[in-house]
Amino acid sequence: MSALFTIAWVAAAVNVVLLAALGWVWVQGYRRHGASHTLGLLVFASLLLVQNGVWLYFYRLHEGYIGWFVNAGTDVQFGMVLLCGLETLALAFLVRITWS
Amino acid sequence: MEDVLWYVLASSRGGPTRVRILRALEERPRNANQLATDLEFDYTTIRHHLDVLMENNVVRRTDDDYAAVYLFTEQVRSNWDTVETVLEAVDPDSEAR
Repeated sequence: MSALFTIAWVAAAVNVVLLAALGWVWVQGYRRHGASHTLGLLVFASLLLVQNGVWLYFYRLHEGYIGWFVNAGTDVQFGMVLLCGLETLALAFLVRITWS
Repeated sequence: MEDVLWYVLASSRGGPTRVRILRALEERPRNANQLATDLEFDYTTIRHHLDVLMENNVVRRTDDDYAAVYLFTEQVRSNWDTVETVLEAVDPDSEAR
């Protein structure tokens, strides 16, 4: 269980870092030329950043949530890991093409 | 093609440099060395951006020669209105050159 819990919160933390990197590129771009395409990506990154911030808060600071996770079945725990983990994978691909 | 152009030129880190490369190639076809000299970039930097543009089917090489000249692909030529829209949005000043 504790391994799944660790993977879940580390994935959320990595998502925050990746989204900050993407947001940084898009803020620079949007300030330079104000293209709506870039603004769209910036809005997307901002909302996912809030989402992952909330996940991180639940995983690190919310006693009630942590207790629920610990007592949930493996299927639920695995599902929670997938939620953040698949997002990490998706963001990693996006960072790869955005940072080039 | 439109989404690719917006992404590669406006929403990625190397966008501004790639806009300058496209402007230079629009003026006349050049090889990587000439682009590096004319735009005052490292040869490796220019090659990196040309590779990204080739991967995304924006430019092509005339041949595999060291001094190969870079040209726009047919796909870009037939979407030139979109290219102009993106270039103008990203770098309106260079239009006046």
